[in-house]
Amino acid sequence: MSESLIFISKNGDETEPNKKEAFRYMGYKSSEKNDVIEELYSDCLAELKKAASYKAVYREVPISLEAGSVDFGFCKIENANLYKNLSGCSSAVIFAATLGAGADRLIMRYSKISPAEGMICDCIASSAIEVWCDEVNEKAVGEKTAKPRFSPGYGGVSLTYQKDILAFLDAERKLGITLNDSMMMSPKKSVTAFIGIKG
Amino acid sequence: MNIRDLLGKQRLYFDGGMGTLLQSAGLKAGELPEMWNLTHAEDVKKIHLDYFNAGSNVVTTNTFGANSLKFDNLEEIIAAAVKNAKDAAKQCGREDCFVAFDVGPLGKMLEPLGDMSFERAVEIFSQSISLGAKHGADLIIIETMNDSYETKAAVIAAKESCDLPIFVSNVFDENKKLMTGADPKAMIAMLEGLRVDAIGMNCSLGPKQMLSVAEEYMKYSSLPVIVQPNAGMPRKENGKTVFDVGAEEFSDYAVQMAEIGVSVLGGCCGTTPEYIKKVVEKTKDIPYKAPESKYITMVSSYTHAVEIGRVPVLIGERINPTGKAKFKQALRDKNIAYIINEGVRQQEKGVHILDVNVGLPEIDEDEMLVTATKELQSVLDLPLQLDSVKASSLQKAMRIYNGKPLINSVNGKQESMDAILPLVKKYGGTLIALTIDENGIPDTAEGRCEIAEKIVNECKKYGIEKKDIIVDPLAMTVSSDDQSGKVTLESVRLIKQKLGLKTSLGVSNISFGLPDRENINALFTALAFQMGLDCAIMNPYSAAMMRSYHTYLALSGNDKNCLGYIDYAQKNKTETVTVTADNKVQEQSDVSSLQRAIIKGIKSDAYSQAKLSLAEKDALCVINDEIVPALDTVGKQFEEKKMYLPSLLMSAEAASKAFEAVKEAMPEGKSESKGKIILATVKGDIHDIGKNIVKTLLENYGYDVIDLGKDVEPETVLERAKTENIKLVGLSALMTTTTEAMAETVRLINENLPATKTVVGGAVLTKEFAEMIGASHYAKDAMETVRYAEDIFC
Repeated sequence: MSESLIFISKNGDETEPNKKEAFRYMGYKSSEKNDVIEELYSDCLAELKKAASYKAVYREVPISLEAGSVDFGFCKIENANLYKNLSGCSSAVIFAATLGAGADRLIMRYSKISPAEGMICDCIASSAIEVWCDEVNEKAVGEKTAKPRFSPGYGGVSLTYQKDILAFLDAERKLGITLNDSMMMSPKKSVTAFIGIKG
Repeated sequence: MNIRDLLGKQRLYFDGGMGTLLQSAGLKAGELPEMWNLTHAEDVKKIHLDYFNAGSNVVTTNTFGANSLKFDNLEEIIAAAVKNAKDAAKQCGREDCFVAFDVGPLGKMLEPLGDMSFERAVEIFSQSISLGAKHGADLIIIETMNDSYETKAAVIAAKESCDLPIFVSNVFDENKKLMTGADPKAMIAMLEGLRVDAIGMNCSLGPKQMLSVAEEYMKYSSLPVIVQPNAGMPRKENGKTVFDVGAEEFSDYAVQMAEIGVSVLGGCCGTTPEYIKKVVEKTKDIPYKAPESKYITMVSSYTHAVEIGRVPVLIGERINPTGKAKFKQALRDKNIAYIINEGVRQQEKGVHILDVNVGLPEIDEDEMLVTATKELQSVLDLPLQLDSVKASSLQKAMRIYNGKPLINSVNGKQESMDAILPLVKKYGGTLIALTIDENGIPDTAEGRCEIAEKIVNECKKYGIEKKDIIVDPLAMTVSSDDQSGKVTLESVRLIKQKLGLKTSLGVSNISFGLPDRENINALFTALAFQMGLDCAIMNPYSAAMMRSYHTYLALSGNDKNCLGYIDYAQKNKTETVTVTADNKVQEQSDVSSLQRAIIKGIKSDAYSQAKLSLAEKDALCVINDEIVPALDTVGKQFEEKKMYLPSLLMSAEAASKAFEAVKEAMPEGKSESKGKIILATVKGDIHDIGKNIVKTLLENYGYDVIDLGKDVEPETVLERAKTENIKLVGLSALMTTTTEAMAETVRLINENLPATKTVVGGAVLTKEFAEMIGASHYAKDAMETVRYAEDIFC
């Protein structure tokens, strides 16, 4: 296991958000489409590709599991769901990923001019960060067998652990991610997570 | 000895990393390094001393995160930190040893992206910096800043808290940008404007990537440049953290930095005294290049700088209420969306800078200019020209402006210079200087040139250089004086030739009172450019003006291979095609109705259809027979899940356009409101999309919405509900962590205003939760909020 801190980045036009997911976020349940919305989707997507700047850092660490709690070295979390998720793992990839402040600004801009476009852009960006996380996930895991990624906020794991993850990965400097008092990340389209590695 | 005696006269060396050295001395993960100033003073002192002995002239105190957000015993920590560094300097014994008080980022994102206000950031930085100065630091280093706005807050704090030299260092990523978007030129423009002592970069990914940013700094900066790279990326080797760029490779890059003229060298994460020793050894015999003064006029936004003096620059004039009834009404209504729209449209037309004038006698201009500036810079990346006759309005807007603004304007009257020049000295900015003084506007070019000279001389007293003065020799209409065009053009030429100053004109004034003004304006502008005019404040919606501008660039050798012109011409052609397409849509809609336009969500159609309907029946009939039924149809379709939210919103926006047409047709002040509703996203929550959707729908249904925004204190909601006598308050929360704040807000309202109803919504809420916190109603979506409002008010 290499414990290097890995940084990867991509320009906004190098990743394609998942259109089906984006429409699902907008509330669409069937595939029926509407020309007006399709056109807005293309416009927003083109702008998002200019505004977004995909960045991520990750690092693999050995973990130890003991009586319902997981010790990552830099923090220890007592939570049954996380324990279950990571059971059978001897290490975990700790990661943080973001679309950058440009995406936040674009969503803000659309929202101020047209709530519909603001919403569409927000949904595209939500899909884009998921696609980016999947990509980083795949890269970090490589050939190894991994568990589904687990983020603070899931299954009763407190959001305050975001603080430990961001500090451990030096994510404020490397990615520009900060937390507010309510433990919300800025840029908003950012994710932190643990990925259990089997073996 | 003062560091100002050496800076810019010889190469100076800073220290390297602190964190990694503390870790090898035993600092544990999660432990706050700043505490070590107290608990392990000897270890900290030894690190400083090792750096001095390696050849550093300046060591930075161990205070990167020392601010009141993290520490209650701030003074104790800072006093110890400065003492540790000063003791090391004394022990080293060399005369050229200095202590820099280290200021790192706060770890909070500033508004509008985050929730910390600019003034709060200034306050926190000021606390730390005054303590650093009080305990004897020799200079301030503001470093590892990855946001231009936070950088500005720290610099203002430093200027207001002490007289020490200020060094500023930013973090650029692999795209040569800060995390929030600024490029090197933008930072250089802003920081030179703020009159700091040295500027540069640190941290980031490694010395190799930094070289190209350093080259950019050397090209544009007149100030000494500081470069402190990381030793690459960290990794674990045999349980120890190591970095992938060694001292040898690192110092080779330092040689290249010294050769291109970097004045101050040092290191950041992962570098050690060994690195600095090698850097000093390898660079000490390279001849020092003193920074050169560059005569480049720049203004900047939070992303980029606009250079004035090469290719003519267009300044959009449309954000200005003069002669615009709709704009005046928008200002009275505090309709910020209107102003933002004007900004977006002008940017689409291709202007480089936006003039912002919101002066109206009946409004509070100080407040409005600040609001407009904040709102525009939150969503538009063009530099702004702050335009006011009130110095107090300019002062407040310049302070919170995220970049280096153009200032419109100062003139030759002593009173004007006394009021405006100190502001530029403190906050930075490039001045528009009008050639008018106590005796009016001179009739001749020579007379106007003299006033310009007078302003230049007065500026010297404040250290404002000629590059930051752009003279506007005032275009007066040719309709009242047929020599006016000639004199103005001659003034442009003379001011440039005789004084070497840049020039600007409000070109539209030239045609005042004449028919078909575009003809005059377009040619006048081209002639002025030919005389050397650098900026034109103009109307970008005028096709003739834009045509003239692009043609001028092509003819004056400012458009390589005429690509700009070709692009403009092609786009213009596409516009003609679009117009035909629009006509087709309208033809179709001739057979359709206003209702259909709203249901389909076609905004332009809804407006024109409403106009047609209004020609046949009165405004109230159009609302009640067409707009409201159409909205009800989409509302029902949405509730029956036959239509989805984006389409519902588009219909709502189309309906707003129809309302706009109706309002225009109504005599003033006759539009009726069904009632006032307050909306807010609760304290701690910065998600406002859901709230904005509800707002749009409520406005559509004829309610006056008081939008308090996001992250709103419970007390603010209560206060406003009290003063405005509000019957219904809508609250939104999207995070489980902020539902507490929602409960508190509802509790305050229930206790103090029992007659006021509350409706709550948001992703994490449930009906049960709403009942538990005592909210009057839970709305699962925007439509339900509307239905509830209809119950309350009708």
